[in-house]
Amino acid sequence: MSAISKRPVKLLQPYFWLAPALVLVVAVSFWPLAYALIQSLYRSNYLDLGTFTGFSNFQRFLFSEAGLLRAWNSFVLTAGTIAIAMPLGFALALLLNLPLRGRNLIRTLLIVPWLVSNTVAALLWAWLLNAQFGPVAETLSHMGVVMSNVLTSQTWAMPALIVCNAWGSFPLVMVFMLSALQTIPKEVREAARMDGASRWQVFSKVTFPLIRNTTLVTAVLTTLHCFNGVTIVLIMTGGGPLDATDIMALRVFEEGFKLHRMGIASAGAVIIFAINVLFTVAYMRVLKSEHSA
Amino acid sequence: MTTRRKRPGQLTRLETVSAYATLAIVLIFALFPIFWGLSTSLKMPLDIHRVPPTWLPPTVTLQNYATAVFDARFLGYLTNTIFVVFTSLILSTTLALHAAWATVRFNFTGREGLLLLMWATIMIPGIAVIVPLYTVSVDIGIHDTLWVLIIVYSAWLVPTLVWLLRGFIAAIPAELEEAARIDGCSRIGAFWRVSVPLLKPGLLAAGVLVFVMVWNEFLIGYSLTLSDGNRMIQVGIYYFMTETGVEYGPLMAAALAAIVPIVVLYALLQRAFVQGLTGGAVKG
Repeated sequence: MSAISKRPVKLLQPYFWLAPALVLVVAVSFWPLAYALIQSLYRSNYLDLGTFTGFSNFQRFLFSEAGLLRAWNSFVLTAGTIAIAMPLGFALALLLNLPLRGRNLIRTLLIVPWLVSNTVAALLWAWLLNAQFGPVAETLSHMGVVMSNVLTSQTWAMPALIVCNAWGSFPLVMVFMLSALQTIPKEVREAARMDGASRWQVFSKVTFPLIRNTTLVTAVLTTLHCFNGVTIVLIMTGGGPLDATDIMALRVFEEGFKLHRMGIASAGAVIIFAINVLFTVAYMRVLKSEHSA
Repeated sequence: MTTRRKRPGQLTRLETVSAYATLAIVLIFALFPIFWGLSTSLKMPLDIHRVPPTWLPPTVTLQNYATAVFDARFLGYLTNTIFVVFTSLILSTTLALHAAWATVRFNFTGREGLLLLMWATIMIPGIAVIVPLYTVSVDIGIHDTLWVLIIVYSAWLVPTLVWLLRGFIAAIPAELEEAARIDGCSRIGAFWRVSVPLLKPGLLAAGVLVFVMVWNEFLIGYSLTLSDGNRMIQVGIYYFMTETGVEYGPLMAAALAAIVPIVVLYALLQRAFVQGLTGGAVKG
């Protein structure tokens, strides 16, 4: 074989090794997304695409009383989870970055909830919060609080879901933050302390700016995981009582696999995807604007 | 006690005590749900429904494990899960390893664009594509097989694995591969012979990521299969819950059986776990 005929082959080599991975990813992610976009505009009859209906699926999924409630619930669940998991994970990272004895063991143990699947986490919490046989209700009753069945209470079902979600999410925040903190040399903070800065000043002026990026990445990951999650809600409350914990992701699942209204399910999927993009872009803009400032 | 000059960064006694107190409370929060599940799984049916509840089982029994875990159906879910974990691991890691290598070692037109295209899929949540995936898998006749799960899981893992492995490959000097080429290896041969053996930590982290993701996944496993013979472990537990209602003893035994393998592996391979699960997003 001559040198000339070998050259194009050489040039194509990286594409050859990249192509299989790329084809698989595109086929299983982009292609279904495109299909969902199309299907969301049709009144589908199970697997048949059906007839074109414009935006009526979107209207039914989002712009109805139940639809707006679901959207609200999705945001409440996500915001509540973030409000617990982020500060908790952050505080733990700061604590475990201190020279404490046994901190490696504590860190190891605190990561465990993150390894538990959402299915199992939901079962564990549902059983823990059981009003009749659970230890939480028992302990509260000693303190004079009578706990009703949390998961069938319109007031308490959502907080219970938030706690379960936060339980599974805070270790990720902790791990990310701790890795970021450990990249900061001790001397940097000590130097600031020597110069007379208070603990808070060291944190806000030295430590935090150095770990901002990680904070944002973690916030995005936790937000999206919670917002897109179906499993915990499906198992703990099934969206009840009376739609009090019905969230958008759960509704997509139910429209698709229980009611077989694929068009409406796809409209929901498109809305959820759009919100995912918005979340990511919004966080990225915060990241960029602070960088240039 | 002698008084010493405090160095900055050193903690006062009060600070140490409050730090430990806080950590103790969080540890209870983190571990109590699992402890309670474990305790329940070891109780006799009567003790499970005792009011007030007892923290520890008055009589320890393995009956719940015998009913729920060492049962042909559950062992079937376990076999399915292990099969899917290993097959997805081989498929996704093989594809990602070569893709990562090609994008680290070669400078070619469209490299950044194609990588971005691949990583953009991380933003597409499962719930957004699950309905079309179901429709298509029924259409082409792979619905309700383990293969459809393997394909979907692999596709979802590849972008993160590429990200993870690129970091590890870039850490190996390109000169090592070049030296092997002078000795007559092809480029891919040099990569396999010289770099892949050095990638063990990266491949271990990748393996952990695949294992945890596939083992814990519920939504795809539930939506894309139908028959009992094709259920994955989390799906099996869900059906167990819906079919038997509130038999908490066996249910908690099954739940614990789903946690134990991951926790054991984690205890053995901590570093790889943290690297794999954070997807290499954090250095160090």
